[in-house]
Amino acid sequence: MRKKVRLKHFRQLFTCMIAVAMVAFLLSPVAGSAQIKELKIGIGVDADTLNPQEQTTTLFQNICDLIYGNMYYQDPAGNVHPRLLAKHEVSEDGLTWTLHLKKGVQFSDGALYNADVVKQTWDRILNPKMRVPLRFAVSMVKECVKIDDYTIQLNLKYAFAPLNATLSMALVSPISPAALEKYGEDVRQHPVGAGPYVLTEWVKGDRIILIRNKTYWGKAPTVDKLIFKIIPEAITREAMLRTGEIDICYKPLPSNVAALKAQSNIKVEMPLDTRTIFMGLNCQKGVTMNKKVRQAFNYAIDKKAIVDRILFNTAQPMDGPVSPKVFGYAKMDHQYDYNPEKAKQLLKEANFDFSKTINMRTPNGRYLFDKQVAEVVQAYFQAIGIKVELRTYDWPTYVAGLLKPIEETELEVFLLGWGPLFLDADMALYGQFTTEVNPPKGLGSSFYTNTAYDEIMTASRKEQDLNKRFELLKQASGIVWEDCPWIWLHVEKFVLAYSSKIKNLVVTPTEKFYPTYITME
Amino acid sequence: MINFLLKRLLAIIPVLLGITLLLFFMLRMLPGDPAQVLAGQMASPQDVEMIRTQLGLDQPVYIQYASFLNRLVHLDLGLSARTQNPVIQEIWARLPNTILLSLCAITMACVFGIPAGIIAAVRPYSWVDYLVTIASLFGISMPVFWLGIMLMIVFSMTLQWLPAGGIGTWKHLILPTVTLASFVVAFIARMTRSSMLEVLSQDYVTTARSKGLKENLIIIKHALKNALIPIITVVGLQFGLLLGGAVLTETVFAWPGLGRLIVDSILARDYAVIQGSILIFGLLYTLVNLVVDLIYAFVDPRIRYE
Repeated sequence: MRKKVRLKHFRQLFTCMIAVAMVAFLLSPVAGSAQIKELKIGIGVDADTLNPQEQTTTLFQNICDLIYGNMYYQDPAGNVHPRLLAKHEVSEDGLTWTLHLKKGVQFSDGALYNADVVKQTWDRILNPKMRVPLRFAVSMVKECVKIDDYTIQLNLKYAFAPLNATLSMALVSPISPAALEKYGEDVRQHPVGAGPYVLTEWVKGDRIILIRNKTYWGKAPTVDKLIFKIIPEAITREAMLRTGEIDICYKPLPSNVAALKAQSNIKVEMPLDTRTIFMGLNCQKGVTMNKKVRQAFNYAIDKKAIVDRILFNTAQPMDGPVSPKVFGYAKMDHQYDYNPEKAKQLLKEANFDFSKTINMRTPNGRYLFDKQVAEVVQAYFQAIGIKVELRTYDWPTYVAGLLKPIEETELEVFLLGWGPLFLDADMALYGQFTTEVNPPKGLGSSFYTNTAYDEIMTASRKEQDLNKRFELLKQASGIVWEDCPWIWLHVEKFVLAYSSKIKNLVVTPTEKFYPTYITME
Repeated sequence: MINFLLKRLLAIIPVLLGITLLLFFMLRMLPGDPAQVLAGQMASPQDVEMIRTQLGLDQPVYIQYASFLNRLVHLDLGLSARTQNPVIQEIWARLPNTILLSLCAITMACVFGIPAGIIAAVRPYSWVDYLVTIASLFGISMPVFWLGIMLMIVFSMTLQWLPAGGIGTWKHLILPTVTLASFVVAFIARMTRSSMLEVLSQDYVTTARSKGLKENLIIIKHALKNALIPIITVVGLQFGLLLGGAVLTETVFAWPGLGRLIVDSILARDYAVIQGSILIFGLLYTLVNLVVDLIYAFVDPRIRYE
């Protein structure tokens, strides 16, 4: 009897052990085929720098995210999740942010991640001698103070409610202090961070290869190796996706989206982007000073037709001054639907001088079909009797023209795109329409100025309560929508085509994608 | 001979100096501010100013040029404004790819172009001649971009024989080589045909024939050797052009060569890289010309360089 009992216990123990072993086997990273050896991603250009503080191109900020990790992570729905930051607290006046760092994190080279590193990062960002093109995005931060080994404090010049979303940008990701010491500023070519991936090879003009960071603090990535292949021509990228030479094709041609979608082995994803494309109208000079003229221009153009026929539906007409993807977006009650008769009537009321030729300009190749869109706008103008001269420029020349102060500017009607770098309306509504950002101080090249609007936007930055802040942003949107400093054209979509074997690829409205935890069939 | 070589090598210096002078001032006449491009669309004026100082663009142009020449004498082409890497490194990472592709293309062009031209010349106005003429017409008129994409559709996407782009194996070389060579094959074939036709009507060829020499011998030894000079000139010039003119092929087939680097650098107004790469092209071009001149002497014993 006793023997039987012992045997029974033994059997139970044995069963338990087998069960545990099986679970452990199933959970282990090498189990079955869950681990993916490599993933090839076709991209259009090579990176200039992989220093997150220097990078301005979304695609390479995306690669920086993979190498360095982020302080916070903003998911495609706009929710902010802890990463290298565990949590934060904000003082009542909104001027002091206390950030608590995640403990037990190491950089891929073994260097320790702590408050000193984060402080060093902020000191570098705020140092005017360092090249930090996106510094404007954190211009509210006065200084960074270390509180203890895992706590720092950001003291702000002015309250800025969406700072938590700002902290999701690659701009504020820390670089390994050991790598900074070893390489100095050359760290841009030798990036070392605390993210899920590590750079192993960078062949200029050909490929960038990342491998899984074995000491990554978070969940282990499912892909061992990411190969970013530089394939400048979109048609070639598509061909290589079709032949299986690459697994993901970054931004295929809009005209080919339909054909790609028809292939059963290819999946096309195109979430709405944060970038809006518009025709800026100079509010302080020329014929467009008159609000009625600006509204007439908005009625004169069939934005839906542009989206359908020029952009192959890889965009959506704007129905508010910001992308529907950002916090603060509200669809406007009144819409400027295509109505050439109303446009003519408004122009008549404004005593518009039809004998004058309007100067319109567009970059060529900066945005999807930018020149073609401008040509269509020109045609719509001509259809109601407005004379337009359209000029195209390459990007460097174009930017130089955008930044001139009002006395020197030659801008009348100009095509431009503006894409907030995280999912909040502030960068669009504040960064384009407040008096403060009129050139040369900012890039609000429409020279829009409205005191009431400025006051609301300043208040929105102080408002910590989400609902109240939303109301303020909506109110501001209403004012600027009515005043029409832009011809509100369309919101772009971010197009990514990939092998339909890939599941769980995260694609964001900020034109980023994270293959970190994909699975493959 | 040695004297000639030395003289020619020395003559490269003023040529390159001329290139730098033209390039330097032409680049700076282009609208668009490199500091602004680098700083980004949203940078503050202070940041732009700082970058301008870092790049030395706040100095007067003649001072910039003098310091450029000074660095050049020390074989330093400066730093790329975009990547902050030495320009030499940026070029060196891509130059071998460009040279490899150009060499393959010119070899292919000679292997197919010269025999095609000879055959056409030996049987003028026959169907072979018409075939070569029509084929070369196609080769010359087809846009590189279009041809590249067509080849890709047929051989990569449909037949799946060859990779559509990138570098790595010999298979990656085939499509870009064919694309790049198509124009040159045609050009060389036409040149060979007309040059051979001219030679074949010469008296000494008639003499050779009446002596009863074998036709093959007449064509190879007597005619071709004399017809080679203009062909070599064309091959040399075309090779020089291939080195610098492969931008479209490089773009279509994702071939990481110098042409692509130059285009990207122009768009970013990366002066140092543009200057460096064009200078290297200039150097290669003059060297190729020199080699062509030396080959003349080898082919035609009447040509002697003192």
